[in-house]
Amino acid sequence: MKKIITLIVILLAVGCGKKEKKENGKLNVVTTTTMITDLVKNIGGDKIEVKGLMGSGVDPHLYKASEGDVSKLFNADVVIYNGLHLEGKLEEVFEKMEHQNKKTIVVSDVIDKNNLISSELFASNYDPHIWFDINNWIKITNYVSEKLGKMDVKNAAFYKEKAKVYLDELTALNNEITIEISELPEEKRILVTAHDAFNYFGRQHKFNVVGLQGLSTATEAGVQDVQKLAKFIIENKVKAIFVETSVPKRTIEALEAAVKSKGQEVVIGGTLYSDALGNAGTEEGTYVGMYKANVHTIVDALK
Amino acid sequence: MSSAQIEIQLIASLVAVACAIPGVFLVLRKMALISDAISHSILPGLVIGFFITHDLNSPLLILMGALSGILTVVLVEYIQKTKLVKEDTAIGLVFPALFSIGVLLIAKNANDVHLDVDAVLLGELAFAPFDRLLINDVDLGPKSVWVIGTILLITLSLLIAFFKELKVSTFDTGLATALGFSPIVLHYGLMSVASVTTVGAFDAVGAILVVALMIAPAATAYLLTNDLKKMLILSIIFGVFSAISGYWVAHWLDASISGSMTTMLGLVFLVVYLFAPNKGLISVVYRNKQQQKEVQLLTFLLHLNNHKEESERHINHLNEHINWHKVKAKSVVELAEKNNMIVIDNQIISLTEKGKVFTEKAIDYIITNDDSKIESMKKDFFLFRG
Repeated sequence: MKKIITLIVILLAVGCGKKEKKENGKLNVVTTTTMITDLVKNIGGDKIEVKGLMGSGVDPHLYKASEGDVSKLFNADVVIYNGLHLEGKLEEVFEKMEHQNKKTIVVSDVIDKNNLISSELFASNYDPHIWFDINNWIKITNYVSEKLGKMDVKNAAFYKEKAKVYLDELTALNNEITIEISELPEEKRILVTAHDAFNYFGRQHKFNVVGLQGLSTATEAGVQDVQKLAKFIIENKVKAIFVETSVPKRTIEALEAAVKSKGQEVVIGGTLYSDALGNAGTEEGTYVGMYKANVHTIVDALK
Repeated sequence: MSSAQIEIQLIASLVAVACAIPGVFLVLRKMALISDAISHSILPGLVIGFFITHDLNSPLLILMGALSGILTVVLVEYIQKTKLVKEDTAIGLVFPALFSIGVLLIAKNANDVHLDVDAVLLGELAFAPFDRLLINDVDLGPKSVWVIGTILLITLSLLIAFFKELKVSTFDTGLATALGFSPIVLHYGLMSVASVTTVGAFDAVGAILVVALMIAPAATAYLLTNDLKKMLILSIIFGVFSAISGYWVAHWLDASISGSMTTMLGLVFLVVYLFAPNKGLISVVYRNKQQQKEVQLLTFLLHLNNHKEESERHINHLNEHINWHKVKAKSVVELAEKNNMIVIDNQIISLTEKGKVFTEKAIDYIITNDDSKIESMKKDFFLFRG
């Protein structure tokens, strides 16, 4: 027992003595989701060292940290995260980082509370999937570049310039998507997915969004949920339902089977990117590419 | 090493010690599974806490979690007292029921809130050093160090104060009652400590590592000793060793920290299981082999004793007579010779005085089946042990 206490005391003593950081002159930024990582890469270019915690295809609810993440966070100057409980308990940790000389940017802070979709029963809890409304993403781009400019004054103009280029890209994306979706008559705009990730998408593009599973990953869809939704699909003659990259296919396949057992055809229209982008280096590994891929999949399947 | 890395090892070591102490008693009382049960059954407590506060970050949620952990223990005890089912069955009945109540409560009332165990308890060692305790904006170090440190301090003082009582009630409930300590009070005390430790450690290191740290070090230590004090000390050493070495494995592989620590716990158990001096696999196999040889030797000596005629005792015909392979026959003869039980004269084997006495005693034992006879035999005729 005494040995262990001595060991702990020694560890503590050593621990208090050392506090050094790697310096490479660049701003070290740690981001959480792949969407935010992509955004910061676009704004920061080569002036910012971006390290994302969550990899591609990783559901933020199921993210598991590795030992390398400790050093990423320890060496970070700025942490940028989504907020609205998307990162769960981690947010509480990030909030305390201000006291360790790390700055934080919460991207959801810039979105007006009235503009957020809130939980029906618990008013102060909001749907965190804000990136699916391009207008939100435009606001967030402005906000992040402005904040980064304040933190790194000598590169502020550079960030502003890069952000402008990216904003043009987003505006172009918005126009392109709007045209593509307008091909789809409004009564056909029904999006059935595994979990409630697409409410903001639905609001922007006038889709009726129905998720089989709630926001929490602890619960699973009940039998009644499946039957109810199957009935809804038949009544509204929905042609296709969708799986998500970061949620298991099982529940959606159960739904497909339930609809077919009642004598109506429904197909799995494809895989949508919900809580994470595709693999880095591919088209879907960027926000713009991901958004286009999702809309193509949806429009093609429902047309 | 950065300060974050040192703090992680410090937190992990504290958790290892805090878990090892109740873990030893749980393993001895055959209730090891209770820690796993508690880590699941805290969910309904968290959900009810959320319904009261509507705030995922409220400490009330953790308090309610610990309470539903204690409720698990009470229910398990109650079911087990009916004597209709055993401990492990009772545990298996209670915690899935409580966990599913939690799931149903979420599905019914809070389906559009991201509410699960991970949302309330951090459960990730990699972030523990960044979760600081701040009082008036003064940084007092990682929160987990304070939480686990407090739990550990309470556990240690309870252990020291009630060591004798715990010892007696763990090994002999009847005696404990006769001596005037209430085993039930001690049982609930111990289980409450286990429950609070589980919830506190869950927040710091996550569910799987808590269960592993409670059970694996104690199970490993149990292979090496039957002495309670030594078992406690060994468990703590194994726990801390696995925690620190596991951290460096994670560093080397850039993998999950708690995953690597759990792997180390498993490896330590495996090594001890194979090489432990008394209960280890290798020593058990070795001992069985020895016993087999002793029986063979006895058969051989009885054979010699039964046959006065020389043809039956010729060394080259031995394998025919007792139906042994040559190699086996040779090794038995060598053993007997080494122990001075036989002499080989002109290829004819005869029993020595010592061999005769040994054989007679053995026959005595076989006829009477009296254990006291064989006891002294082992001392008199050492065989391998000499």
